[in-house]
Amino acid sequence: MNRRRRKSEGEEGPQVPVAPMLDMAFQLLTFFVLTYRAAPVEGQFVMNLLPPQPATSMAAAAADASPSDDLPVSLRTLPTTLKAAGDGSLARVMINDTEIPNERLALEKELDHYLLDPDVPFDQTLIKVDPNLRYSELMTVIDAFTNAFLKAKKEPKLSFDELGPDEG
Amino acid sequence: MSGSVVPKESAEPNLTPLLDIVFQLITFFMLVINFASDNYDQRVHLPDAGSARPVEDVDRVMEDRLVLNIDHNGNLLTGNDVHPYNEAVKEIKHQAALVKLNLKVSGVKLDVAANGLPTTIILRADKDVVFSSILSLIKACQNEGFRKFALKAMMRG
Repeated sequence: MNRRRRKSEGEEGPQVPVAPMLDMAFQLLTFFVLTYRAAPVEGQFVMNLLPPQPATSMAAAAADASPSDDLPVSLRTLPTTLKAAGDGSLARVMINDTEIPNERLALEKELDHYLLDPDVPFDQTLIKVDPNLRYSELMTVIDAFTNAFLKAKKEPKLSFDELGPDEG
Repeated sequence: MSGSVVPKESAEPNLTPLLDIVFQLITFFMLVINFASDNYDQRVHLPDAGSARPVEDVDRVMEDRLVLNIDHNGNLLTGNDVHPYNEAVKEIKHQAALVKLNLKVSGVKLDVAANGLPTTIILRADKDVVFSSILSLIKACQNEGFRKFALKAMMRG
């Protein structure tokens, strides 16, 4: 009886040492905890950027536009100009030759006016950017344009060009 | 003397549940570890943009991509190297030549002048870099036949 009880309690069974395995597991855990870095949540704006063409080529391309497009490209393109201040921040925003207040809400309102109105033909934009403008400021404008295009259920079509010293 | 025998009693904690938990933690960290971190250069601080689209894993696998990290001075960053504009243009030329060679080897006939290269340029530019630096690198890419670009930004919210 005594012998059977002892056997059932496992006192004579094989003992697997768990402690070394635990040590190794803790070392692995320490490695992963120390090297863990949360992946940054990055997004992107995908666009086709063609090389800049001279004005004559653009006019020719507009004339060769597909028959389904009623208006030439030049008339469907919303011209936008961004001027920078001395510190690279955004100083002036001009849309379709009209200066608008340099505020996010004003920009969004103006873009809604141009892109949501079915009577206005714009379905793409050419942004002329001051060479000294900071990228973060440009990204704010790209963000606003993308939002406006998506709100108008149009595919965002943006292109960029450098603003000349005598422009804007 | 014989009466002073100490009974063989030892306090051994049961380590098996602890080991189970530790293995579960290791599994978690192994699954969430970011293996694609070689493209994320910590020297580049991306601008914020709410409407930037998240990168699909399918796109990441299927697309042929070339990542350009640009620091706040407009230099191209590759690994630990910092390339000023002239070296950056050479690097872009080199990468374009590799893409063209790859297309040639795989038997793909592509009119580069008309359609451009199929590779997407992933532009990870610092938020403080000026536009002229970015545009000069974009033009260098365009001159080599790249047409597809993706501008990276941090998603808010």
